[in-house]
Amino acid sequence: MADLNVISICGSLRKGSFNRMVMNGLPGLAPAGMSIKEAPPFDAFPLYNADIQNSTGFPAPVNTLADAIRAADGVIFVTPEYNFSLPGGLKNALDWVSRLQNQPFVAKPIAIQSASPGPVGGARVQYDLRKMMCFLDALTLNKPEIFVGSVATRVDEKTGELKDETTRNLIKQQLESFAKFIARHGGKG
Amino acid sequence: MANEDNLDVIVICGSLRKGSYNAALARMLPKLAPAAMKLRAAPPFDTMPFYNFDIQNTAGFPAEATAFADAIRAADGVIIVSPEYNWSMPGTLKNAIDWVSRMQDQPFEDKPVALQSAARGAMGGARMQYHLRQSLLSLDAVLFGRPEIIVTFAPKKFDEKTLELTDQPTIDIVTQQLTAFDRFIRRVNGKA
Repeated sequence: MADLNVISICGSLRKGSFNRMVMNGLPGLAPAGMSIKEAPPFDAFPLYNADIQNSTGFPAPVNTLADAIRAADGVIFVTPEYNFSLPGGLKNALDWVSRLQNQPFVAKPIAIQSASPGPVGGARVQYDLRKMMCFLDALTLNKPEIFVGSVATRVDEKTGELKDETTRNLIKQQLESFAKFIARHGGKG
Repeated sequence: MANEDNLDVIVICGSLRKGSYNAALARMLPKLAPAAMKLRAAPPFDTMPFYNFDIQNTAGFPAEATAFADAIRAADGVIIVSPEYNWSMPGTLKNAIDWVSRMQDQPFEDKPVALQSAARGAMGGARMQYHLRQSLLSLDAVLFGRPEIIVTFAPKKFDEKTLELTDQPTIDIVTQQLTAFDRFIRRVNGKA
């Protein structure tokens, strides 16, 4: 299998984010040949406004993120759920890149993970994000799904390391499936 | 409220662009509302930072988020008029909701909310509305049901130059929604 260049996008901006802890653990759980690097940040995007797009064009950080998505073989979202849906910050990032010519998510393999302190583990954000990815013509991996519930008990809060063996194994399985999925659907066979 | 019989309703527009059809629809509402429903625009959310708990924890809630929340709390009801972006609500609007959702005395709790959307296409923003309903459900808002306002093919329904809503069937159904929302607010807020 060719080497796979995968980028990860974290939906939370806070430093101590549990989702960021999960995301930081991904490179260590990825199959051989899959590299996972964090995508360029979206926290300096302006709030989407077509008037900005039409007068001054796309902001530079939007193009940077979009270029990174285009260049990647796959994208992994690791995001919290806010109010039964996506964080507004992450949705704003998707809104910006969705307006670009050569829209970067078209035919792009996507995998989704979420973590939360509660028992549901962010399931609702995942189904909402799936719908948006459907509109953007991305190719979203189905299974296994990664819902890290009760996340505070599964990480070392001091080091930020994902300790829970069950979760680590499930993530390994997802990343292996994602590698196969990319090979099958991402033109990297 | 100056007059106990009046209803104070705020209108939140989900689009930031000047020529927005949704903003045009929102501007029409005072003309179409029943006499006792007083509509005003909600304070803007366009300079709120992206929600980040670290900001909340160090600098506290941004003044704009607090002003937005105060206006929602003070209102008898809220009407959200929003476009659909990528089959859902604009990230900007969701960000504003995310901020106020973290406040003590969360402003949407038990608040009557009605939704409207306009779009160029045949779906009229319907998917955004069901998504927004889901988020407002998490906030324990009291969501108005029917009639729904889903303005399809918006460029045909607004005057190209003035952006005034000119389509009579749309004017009629918006008028019906506002009349029904007036009754709904009085019923759920115990103001009947």
